Amino acid sequence: MTEHDAHIESDLRVIDEALERGTASAPGGPERELEELVLELAADAPEPDPAFAADLGERVRSGFPRRRRGGAPRVRRLALPKLRRPPMVALAGAASIIAAVAVVISLQSGQSEPEMSAVGGDAAERSAFPDGEGGDSAAARDSMSAPTPTVGPQLGPPPSADGGFAPGEQDRRIERSASLTLAAPDDRLEDVANDIIAVTDRYDGFVLRSSVSSGEEGASAGDFELRIPASRLQPALGDLSKLGDVRARTQAGEDITREFVSAADRLQGARAERRSLLTRLESAETDTEAESIRRRLDLVAAEVNGLRGQLRELRLRADYATVAVTLEREGDEGGSSGYGTDRDGLRGALDDAVDSLSASVELLVRVLGVAIAPALLALALWLGARTARRRRREAALG
Amino acid sequence: MNEAIAERVPPLAGDTPTVETFEALYERTFPKVYAYVASLLRDRSAAEDVTAQAFERAYRKRRGYRPARGTAEGWIFGIARNAALDELRRRKRRAALHADPEDAAAPTIEDHAERSLRREVVRSALTGLAGAERDMVALKFMGGLSNAEIARVLDTTESNVGTRLHRTITKLREACNDRA
Repeated sequence: MTEHDAHIESDLRVIDEALERGTASAPGGPERELEELVLELAADAPEPDPAFAADLGERVRSGFPRRRRGGAPRVRRLALPKLRRPPMVALAGAASIIAAVAVVISLQSGQSEPEMSAVGGDAAERSAFPDGEGGDSAAARDSMSAPTPTVGPQLGPPPSADGGFAPGEQDRRIERSASLTLAAPDDRLEDVANDIIAVTDRYDGFVLRSSVSSGEEGASAGDFELRIPASRLQPALGDLSKLGDVRARTQAGEDITREFVSAADRLQGARAERRSLLTRLESAETDTEAESIRRRLDLVAAEVNGLRGQLRELRLRADYATVAVTLEREGDEGGSSGYGTDRDGLRGALDDAVDSLSASVELLVRVLGVAIAPALLALALWLGARTARRRRREAALG
Repeated sequence: MNEAIAERVPPLAGDTPTVETFEALYERTFPKVYAYVASLLRDRSAAEDVTAQAFERAYRKRRGYRPARGTAEGWIFGIARNAALDELRRRKRRAALHADPEDAAAPTIEDHAERSLRREVVRSALTGLAGAERDMVALKFMGGLSNAEIARVLDTTESNVGTRLHRTITKLREACNDRA
């Protein structure tokens, strides 16, 4: 504490003590002078008029009755519960949260295309039903009635009408994949399995793997791994979706352009080197030199073959989409539907409870994320308005 | 006493261990609130109106009082101060203690001449203070509030109130010495 602070403290103590005692006690000097000033100020307080004091006291004792005009009989009003005026901060906070909930719900409803998830790179598929797919696509959309928990982010530019990507990116190579879970009555499982293969044929695809089982409770009835030409993926998925009750459907797209371009460049380089080696071989003057070039040629040829295979595989991946179809018996809620295999009983209830809790927490986090900014803004506005009001009032003091 | 009045206000900080009714709070604070308001408005009639208005407003808002935010005195002085400042704004007047209402305890022949002279010197010195300084003096010496309570009313810190009060009193002492 500085000397100045100590002086202030001392004077303030003298003031308070003088006010408390009501008399000056210092023998003389500045302290006495201060005490007398303080007491003078306190003694100079205006006193209320006794009549006014009596009147106001009466009003206080009678609970400040509302004054009636002209002595008219008081009309009894319907007694409604009195609500306390909520503080502005609470109002602003509540408004922010309501706005945030509205935004989050609207965003979520915008994302929740049934049965869809689209994941992958920047050129990933964004929708399973791109415009321009015609009736097949619409029919496929209509067939998506079953719920699914998989709703993924929608990234990248919208697909063009032919199922490819935006202009300027015509040469991009996209590996597409999709999975579909269908349910059908037990007596139709075989027919549906056959229809899956028929649809695959109709779209010039092929079945890479398939397995169909019967009579196993709770197990999936069939699994198919199909290859469908990528350009015809959407109508094929639409037709496949019509074959049974769709329980889940996901799609993904991965940009493999870089791998493709890299392999093509390396193949071009290897071929150029081979041509150069052949030229050198023709002009080789010694057997040793020729032998060395041949060994090198063998290596380059192997590299060319490997790269051609790699390119072929990449083309195949880009040209043919992988479609995994899981066929389930209707009534089984298990399999890959996303709901687990044991949804009944206590465990199912617990799983549901955990799912609900997770969803609630997720919603809460989203709401808070959206609400914080407007809440802070509202708080700042409220504080600003409060300060301005206070300053306006105090300006009257001059 | 009706039920509404009998409704208790929360216990006052420190000095009153039991709960206090609004009526008791009024009895305890009325003279000080009036003195404070009258000092600011320098008009007896307006001071009476504003004091009555402040107590009525406090009565209607008594459920909103939170002991954790300060004493009941500080709370009621805050309401009275707002009402007085609103009145000042409305009337576009400046508070000036030199134009105080007629002093009910004006010096009589029996008063000591030295004391009367001293009072006039102090009143005259008060006119040289700025509005915020007069407000501080009124809260402290007419209202009898502690520095902590004043801090609550003015929405500032206790140490800030102490500093401002000391500065104001120093200024007042110098003015008194000049006028003496």
